[in-house]
Amino acid sequence: MLAVEARGLTKDYDIKKDGQRAHLRAVDNLDLAINKSEIYSLLGPNGAGKTTTTRLLTSILQPSVGGAKILGYDIVEDASTVRSNVGLLTETPALYERLTVRQNLEFIARLYDIPKEDIKPRVEELVDLFDLSDKIDLPSGSLSKGMRQKVAIARAMIHDPPVIFLDEPTASLAPESAKIVREQIMKLSKLEARTFFICTHNLFEAERLSSRVGIINHGKLIAEGSPEQLRDLRKDETMTVFRFSVWDDVIQNFFQERHYEVLEIKPERKSISIFINDIEKETPTIIDELIKQNFPMFEVRHEYPTLERIYLDLVQSENLPRNQEEESS
Amino acid sequence: MNWRRIWALTKKDLMEFTKSKYVLSAVIGIPLLFAILMPLGTILPIAKANPADFEGEGLGGFIDNLFSKTIDDWASLSMHTQTLIMLAYAMFIVVLMLPIIIPAVTASETIVGEKERKTMEAILASPITETEIVFAKIISSLIPSFFATFISAAGYIILIDIMLFPFLGYLLFPDFLSIIFVLVFGPMFSIISVELMIMISTKVKSVRDSYQIGSLVVLPLIMLIGAEMFSFFFNTVLTLIIGLAVMLVIIFILFKFATNIFNREKAITKMI
Repeated sequence: MLAVEARGLTKDYDIKKDGQRAHLRAVDNLDLAINKSEIYSLLGPNGAGKTTTTRLLTSILQPSVGGAKILGYDIVEDASTVRSNVGLLTETPALYERLTVRQNLEFIARLYDIPKEDIKPRVEELVDLFDLSDKIDLPSGSLSKGMRQKVAIARAMIHDPPVIFLDEPTASLAPESAKIVREQIMKLSKLEARTFFICTHNLFEAERLSSRVGIINHGKLIAEGSPEQLRDLRKDETMTVFRFSVWDDVIQNFFQERHYEVLEIKPERKSISIFINDIEKETPTIIDELIKQNFPMFEVRHEYPTLERIYLDLVQSENLPRNQEEESS
Repeated sequence: MNWRRIWALTKKDLMEFTKSKYVLSAVIGIPLLFAILMPLGTILPIAKANPADFEGEGLGGFIDNLFSKTIDDWASLSMHTQTLIMLAYAMFIVVLMLPIIIPAVTASETIVGEKERKTMEAILASPITETEIVFAKIISSLIPSFFATFISAAGYIILIDIMLFPFLGYLLFPDFLSIIFVLVFGPMFSIISVELMIMISTKVKSVRDSYQIGSLVVLPLIMLIGAEMFSFFFNTVLTLIIGLAVMLVIIFILFKFATNIFNREKAITKMI
């Protein structure tokens, strides 16, 4: 059974634009199949439909067309069971600022029907986990932004849900706190078979954490796969970089004579790099030749297109025709 | 209905109220003004005035007719005492405005406040049902209102009895009318006010908008409680039964409306 399954998930809003009623399709025919214990990241620019997707999958919103299941439970028909089985970190921590950390967590625990005797130990366990023990009886409004985010993550996990939706989990965290959160996500996914659905702008995080990444724009899933599979979409953009301590025309001639496509020559403070287009297979031969000819080379590396570059390419290429259409209309 | 979840939400709201200077000042300040300071400012000067200054033609046939139904020895009382009794009842209507006015503050705070601070989403993501949310919000808005009404009515009754006992020789309050209005009609008007405020709160985006619309909505209710009390003088039993029946129907209909209007979809999209 899949942890998250969506088929043709669509959400329309009626909005007012320039004083007139307009139709906004926030999520457009989305298909998802996320396995148990998988960490899935949904990437997309602001307004792409990430938060609406999360709200649909957590049974807060109802789809206009299509549907979804969480652990086999329908998000409309079995909404209450879905809500009991998911945890949600909202886009902003949105804690009750006048209440203490303990009161915030205990309140949510009661909403999830956690037995009275289990609430205190569970709150203390989570507070320990996120290093907030000394802040437990302070009003949450007195905490730093990062600490509030940690309380909000603890709140999402208070009922020990099998599927956890996190909207920008490390957005306001200091590097060490972000690391703790990432480690906890990995640990819960591997050891306790928790499924994570993460909405993020943080491509580095998505690449490191996720087994699969989906890229959403204008409500549509425009690409999906493991970070490696997505990189393969731009495999032809792999570059080989040779770095030399000094530069002369002989080196340049060496590459030109062999008809390699020189993409860029980049002088740095004490070195110069030459970027050659996709010669991964021939690289050992070239290194041999460069060494034989005593060229002052001290580094060779392959540069694969980053997830960031792929993401930007995909989103920009999606935006381009739409913007052009808007301009022409 | 899951009462544990309802109580969790109610308790949370009440904890927030006790820590909100704005709500606390409304729940303590308005009763203090309405139940203590206003009666002191109006009735005490007349109590202290010279009774001879009040002798004359009488209060008029209508008022005599009205009060002779409730006060047994009305005709034998001096004009001065009659004036004091009339003012005591008139000011009592002001005290009964509290169960209508206070929910305008608490209900606005509890639903629109949650939307404004975006705390509602975590509640909406939990298994609590829409009906449970509305029910919890009604209870949490009512408790401060009941508390303020009962305390201020008790304070008002004690104050009036202290001021009027020397003239009447007996305690004017609590009488049947004050008991019925404080314990039955007041709470019912309070429930209607909360339900109306919850309906408004689901439609607006800011606490300020909610207060502004809410202050207009409570005006007809205030007139209604005045009319209810006024008519009570003329036909006690019939008014009581019809009034209670009508209010119960209104409470039920408004609860249905409030639970229909309040749904996750609207609650969350109004936050966008």
